[in-house]
Amino acid sequence: MGTVILLSGMAMAQQRGGTLTVGLGYDIDTLNVYSTGYLGDVQAAVVEGLLAPDSKARYVPVLATRVPTIQNGGIKVAPDGKSMVVTYTLRPGVKWSDGQPFTSADVKFTWEAVKNPKFIAESKDGTDDISSIDTPNPLTVVVNYKRVAPDFASTLFTFGILPKHTLDGKDLNTDTYNQQPLGTGPFKVTEYRKGQYVILDRNPFYWRKDSSGVQLPYLDRMVFKIIPDSNTMVTQLKSGEVQLAYGVPYSQVPQLDSQPGLQIVKNAVLSWQHLDFNFKGPAPLRDLNVRKAFAYAINKATVSRALGGYPTPIDTVVVPVFSYSNKLVPKYPYDPAKARQLLDAAGYKPGPDGIRVKDGQRLSFNIMVQAGRSTDEDAEQVIIASLKAIGVELKPDNKSGVAFRDARYKGGYDLFYSGWITAADPTYSVFFGSKGVNNGQGYSNPKVDALLNTAESTLDATARGKALRDFQTLLMQDLPSIPVTSNPSMIAVTDKLGGFVPNPTNMTNFVNTSGWYLKK
Amino acid sequence: MSFSYLVKRLVGMLPLLIGVSLILFGVLHLAPGGPLDVYADNPSVTQEALDQMRQAFGLDKPLPVQYASWVLAFFQGEWGFSIRTAQPVVQEILDRLPATLLLSGSAFVVALLIAIPLGVLSATRRYTGVDYLITLLSFLGISMPVFWLALMLQLLLSVQLHLLPSAGMQTIGDGSLPDLLRHLALPTFILAFASVAGWSRYMRASMVEVMGQDYVRTARAKGVPARRVTYAHALRNALIPVVTVVALDFASILSGAVITETIFAWPGIGRLFIDSMNGRDYPVLLAVLMIGSFALIVSNLLADLAYAAIDPRIRYE
Repeated sequence: MGTVILLSGMAMAQQRGGTLTVGLGYDIDTLNVYSTGYLGDVQAAVVEGLLAPDSKARYVPVLATRVPTIQNGGIKVAPDGKSMVVTYTLRPGVKWSDGQPFTSADVKFTWEAVKNPKFIAESKDGTDDISSIDTPNPLTVVVNYKRVAPDFASTLFTFGILPKHTLDGKDLNTDTYNQQPLGTGPFKVTEYRKGQYVILDRNPFYWRKDSSGVQLPYLDRMVFKIIPDSNTMVTQLKSGEVQLAYGVPYSQVPQLDSQPGLQIVKNAVLSWQHLDFNFKGPAPLRDLNVRKAFAYAINKATVSRALGGYPTPIDTVVVPVFSYSNKLVPKYPYDPAKARQLLDAAGYKPGPDGIRVKDGQRLSFNIMVQAGRSTDEDAEQVIIASLKAIGVELKPDNKSGVAFRDARYKGGYDLFYSGWITAADPTYSVFFGSKGVNNGQGYSNPKVDALLNTAESTLDATARGKALRDFQTLLMQDLPSIPVTSNPSMIAVTDKLGGFVPNPTNMTNFVNTSGWYLKK
Repeated sequence: MSFSYLVKRLVGMLPLLIGVSLILFGVLHLAPGGPLDVYADNPSVTQEALDQMRQAFGLDKPLPVQYASWVLAFFQGEWGFSIRTAQPVVQEILDRLPATLLLSGSAFVVALLIAIPLGVLSATRRYTGVDYLITLLSFLGISMPVFWLALMLQLLLSVQLHLLPSAGMQTIGDGSLPDLLRHLALPTFILAFASVAGWSRYMRASMVEVMGQDYVRTARAKGVPARRVTYAHALRNALIPVVTVVALDFASILSGAVITETIFAWPGIGRLFIDSMNGRDYPVLLAVLMIGSFALIVSNLLADLAYAAIDPRIRYE
């Protein structure tokens, strides 16, 4: 069933063969999905997980034969409701690209290897939730969870499975696996030149066939070229040296779209742009009326227009793709008159220079975006102008690299504009929970904590949906963060590429490359 | 110059390098953030994982201890592991060094071969059309942003005319020399262009000054042919101040050209530095900076040696 979904839209005869050259805008650190600091674009074509999110951000089976649910008996919650057991049935006949069989032992090994304190992993998410794993036979994996974890699918076994037969007893921090990962995916790494490129060749043992029985993948080879400069990337797309690149700057989209042989695909990624208030910062930002005035003053449509019209204005932090995105949250449509009224009522009167003052406290703040990220910098300019119109002064205080991250997590800002991109199964407590690791702004509301706790510990879809919808309502009442737009990723791709379906999740566009083909 | 002088200079480099390392170490750690912030950027990283990393990289120890263990390891050739890639730092640098040596080295040689004759030509043809043309081109070269010229040439030569590849070090699957040279051409030209512009100005100024000196006039008065006066008498002395300028740029052969390497997707030290800087990858950063400092100090020594070779009156004791 899952195969059918994944391969739909490519019923016509496809040609086998050809090389696709992809441009990557960053320098790869490691090819181990668990330790890279980037999203694993290359890895997604090499390493497979038990499940994967599809183009609609729904989980479909990959190395498992079905997605475990309560309905199909794949998930069993303990009678006390405090733990659960997830059973995966593995796909028979799957081989690693070195020809060795893939079994339940590999799944168990993955958990043990990632959990190992000696392994310096970027993502150990989900390892602590598991108490033990049983492997009654080579094709069955029984995962015993310590808690009820509705987000089980977005971690660990979806990320990728590690091969036990080559990694057992090895030091995963320094093993050659980090340069040449071994996977069950459609491609295998044949050459990795640091700072230059990665060559992936067809995996001769790949398990998947198309509906007419042709062995996948269609492509012979994929080459990932590392091109850190976005102007150079555009040049390479134009000269035909690169045939696919994502994250094309909005300003370059019209130019590339008119280029013969290229087309632009819009990918509505699971991202939202937001303006955050720092509750540990200047006192006026803790005044709800001031925050509301900000919300009324910003014209989200103008922000979108400044970015070529590609971003979609949003009213809540849960992007519209999700069924539990609440359309009935308190809204703050563009209304500068109302914004001024709110500030007047709160006692902030325009001073001699037009900037509002109350008890000697001027409404003047710093606003931070990541320096060099042109879309955010453009949006920042619109926001500064919008707020000036209601008598609030914003001074750009942009930071780059680690200084930016440091400020983001420790709250070294007054106002902060940026975006998040999430998994198909986002955990919102990391952003808005009182103890959330990404909550640098110091927002805390016990009611929000309780709702998120409910949402993140129940498998009951109705209860979960209600908690998440209520959370959004509460968040928009408190307004710690103004959701501004959802920014799509623009992908430039050659007309010749068939079967290409963008993926909106953090599993990247390369999560299902086996059905891609080049038209002759 | 005596051998003992050379030894003295080399030994004198040690405290200098230690001083430099202390400053670099301090400055890096004073800058906001740390290497693990890159990981914390990912919403799915737990605090526990961060703590484990902090311990594994020794980032939990007090700074003086971290510095001492780093110095000790550095002198043993054990430069630690990159926090970004978990690869040995030496390996990271060796992976990038050939590309940088090739690009910066060829640009250096090309620039030298063009700049010196150009400066001499400009000086000997002072206030003629040739001089004005060279001056104009030099100022263009000095004032034009490298990235802009690079983009224009990429557009013209790669997108429009399809003559040269726009970026990268080789066509994938083609490791041949002609292919490498084709990829090398544009970035070398761009990198050399800026140096030529600067160096030729120095050469011209220095040459003009020397040409006006008494001994040159004397030589002319004695009937020495103009060509001989220029090349045998004036050039040698005119080169001395230029050597200082050129020698300082020589250090960049090792430390890489950040902008050019980024624009041309050239896998060199300059790009490694930027990536490490953005991630506060202390072990790699310190190593790259130390190599750069070392190259600068050695360049200075080489400049001094070159003085002695050019001007026999200069003696070092």
